[in-house]
Amino acid sequence: MTQPVTIIMIEDDEGHARLIERNIRRSGVNNEIVPFANGTDAVKYLFGADGSGLVQKGHALLILLDLNLPDMSGIDILRRIKENKYLKASPVVVLTTTDDSQEIKRCYELGCNVYITKPVNYENFANAIRQLGLFFSVIQVPAAAT
Amino acid sequence: MAATPDLRRRRAFWQILLLAAGLLVLTVISAGSVYLVNKARDDNAAVIHTIEVENQVHALLLEIRRAESSASGFLLTRGPELWTDHQTAVAAILPHLERLAELTKDNPAQTENVRKLRPAVEARLDQFAREMNFIQQRDFASATALVREAAAGNTTGAIRDAADAMLREEQRLFTLRSANADSSQTLAASLTGIGSGLVVVLALVSIWLVRRSAQLRDEAEARLRDANVDLETTVDERTADLREANDEIQRFAYIVSHDLRSPLVNIMGFTSELEELRNDIFGRIASLTQVPAGGPPIAPGDGGETLEAQDKQLSQDFSEALGFIKSSIAKMDRLISAILNLTREGRRAFEPVRIDMRELMEAIAATVAHQAAEANAEIRIGELPDITSDRLALEQIFSNLIDNAVKYLRNDEAGKITVRGRTKLGYAIYEVADNGRGIDAKDHQRIFDLFRRAGTQDKPGQGIGLAHVRALVRRLGGTMSVSSELNQGSTFTITLPINWNASKRTRDR
Repeated sequence: MTQPVTIIMIEDDEGHARLIERNIRRSGVNNEIVPFANGTDAVKYLFGADGSGLVQKGHALLILLDLNLPDMSGIDILRRIKENKYLKASPVVVLTTTDDSQEIKRCYELGCNVYITKPVNYENFANAIRQLGLFFSVIQVPAAAT
Repeated sequence: MAATPDLRRRRAFWQILLLAAGLLVLTVISAGSVYLVNKARDDNAAVIHTIEVENQVHALLLEIRRAESSASGFLLTRGPELWTDHQTAVAAILPHLERLAELTKDNPAQTENVRKLRPAVEARLDQFAREMNFIQQRDFASATALVREAAAGNTTGAIRDAADAMLREEQRLFTLRSANADSSQTLAASLTGIGSGLVVVLALVSIWLVRRSAQLRDEAEARLRDANVDLETTVDERTADLREANDEIQRFAYIVSHDLRSPLVNIMGFTSELEELRNDIFGRIASLTQVPAGGPPIAPGDGGETLEAQDKQLSQDFSEALGFIKSSIAKMDRLISAILNLTREGRRAFEPVRIDMRELMEAIAATVAHQAAEANAEIRIGELPDITSDRLALEQIFSNLIDNAVKYLRNDEAGKITVRGRTKLGYAIYEVADNGRGIDAKDHQRIFDLFRRAGTQDKPGQGIGLAHVRALVRRLGGTMSVSSELNQGSTFTITLPINWNASKRTRDR
C-alpha cells in the first residue's frame, strides 16, 4: 500500500516559502504542501501534543527545513526528527542561506538527506527544487511497517 | 615618599661625606700615633739619659771613695793588694769625670756643675799623688797626716756638694721627663681610643644609611612590582575588552550579511518570477493583437517576433529594467559574500608553522605565470627571510599583492615585479614592488578600505583584496604600508614578526 507523500515546509520567510512552493509546483509535483512559519507549530504538528511523534506513524513525509527560524534552531528540529523512531525515515532537506562548511557538515552528521544552500542565483535554486520534486514524485517513501 | 632625584642626590652626598670623614679620621689617628710614638721614644730616651748621668756621678764618687779607702787601708795594713787597688781606682777617676762631662754637655746647668766638680776632683787627685810620693819615700807618717788632712779638708766636701747638685738636677730632670713620657703615652692611647670610637660611629652611621637606602630600594621594587601587576591586569582587561568588541563586530558583520541575504533571495526569486510573468503577459498581448478576437490564443512564449512595434518597445523596457535589477542583485550578493568570507576568515584560528618563504612565493608566482606572460611581465623573487606564521594567511596576503601587481601594469612598458625581503629587530620585512600604473597619493589610505578602489576602473574586482590583506597582516601581528606615485609603480611593504606565536587574539576563539 502506498500513500502520497506530504511535504512539510518549515520556512519563516513568506517569500522563500512562496518561491519554493511555486517551483515545486512548476516542476510538476502536486503533493500536498503543509507550510509552517515557525518552529513551534511545526514541532507540534510533527510530534503531536505528547511529543512522541506517534501522530505521524505510517505517514509518508518529506520535510523541507530552514535552519534560521525565529523561535528555535532548525538544527534542533533536525536532531529531534532523526532521533524519533516514527520520523527518522522521512527525508529531510535543509534549505538555508548559510554555506558555512561547518554547518553543512553538522547537518549531514545529524542525518539530513540533502543540504541546499539558497543561492540568490534563482535559476540554480529553482532547478534544484525541481529536481528534488522529480525525485519525490518518482520515489515513494515506503509506509512505516506496523 | 617617592625617591625624588633631589633626595637621592642628598643621600649620595651624605654617604660621600661620611666616607671622607672616616678617611680623614683614620689619617689623623695614624699621623698622631706616629708622632706620639716618636715623642714617647724620645722622652724615654731622655729618661734613660738621666739615669745614665746619675749612674756616672755615682760611679765617679765610688771610684774616689775606693781610692780614699784603699789608701787608708794600705796605710793601716801595708797590704800590697790595697796598693794596687788604690792605683786602679785613681786611674779610673779621670775617665769617669770625662765621661760625665761628655754626657752632660747638652745641659748648661750640669756643665757648670762639672766645671765646679773638676777642680775639686783634680785637687783630690793631687792629694792622692802626694800621698803616693810619701808612701814611695816610706814616709808613712806624712802620708797618714795627709790622708787625715784630706779627709777633713774641703776638697771632699766640694766634691760631694758638686755631685749632690748634679744628682739633684738629674733627679729634677728625671721627674720632669718621666711625666713627659707618661703624658705622651696617655695622649697616644686616648687619641687611638677616640679615633677608634669615631671610626666605629661613622661605620654605624654608614651601615644605617646603607640599610635605609636598601629598605627604600626594596620598597621601590615592591611598588614597581605592584605597578607592573596593575599594568598587566589593565592590559589584560583592555585586551579582553578589545577582543570582545572585535568578536562582537565579527558576529555583527556575520549576522548582518547573513540576514541581508534572506531578502535578497526573495528579490532575486520574484524578479525571476516577474520575468516569467513578462513572457506570459507579452505572449498574451501578442496573441490578442495578432489573432482576431475569438480565435484560439497562441501558446505563450517569447512573443518578441510577433509583437507590434509599440509593444516591442514596452517589452524591451521591461527586460532592461529587470536586467538592471538582476545585475544589481548579483553585485550585492557578491559584496555580501565578500563580507561573509572576511568574517569567516576573521574567525579562522591561525596555526603558526615554519615557512620557506621562497618556496611559497615561487608557488604563488607559478599560479599567476599565465597572466604574467599575457601581460608581458616578469616576476623576480629575491632573498626572503623565512618566518614562523600561518601558511594560508601568508599565501592569501602575497597572492593578492602579486595578483594586483600583475593586474595593474602599464600597457606601454614591460612589467617588472620584484619580491624581496630583509629582517630587522625580530621582524621580517617583505616588499612587493612593481613598475605599474601606481596609485595617487590621495588614494593611499583609501585602497585599504573595503569595497574601495582607485585609478582607472578597467579591471574586474570588488575592492576587497587589500582590505582582506591588511586585516590578515594585522591579525598576524604585523603592519603594511604602500609607497607609490602615479605612473611610477607601487611598492607594498609588509612587516611581520619572525616568530609569531598564536597570541591571545586567536587562542581562545
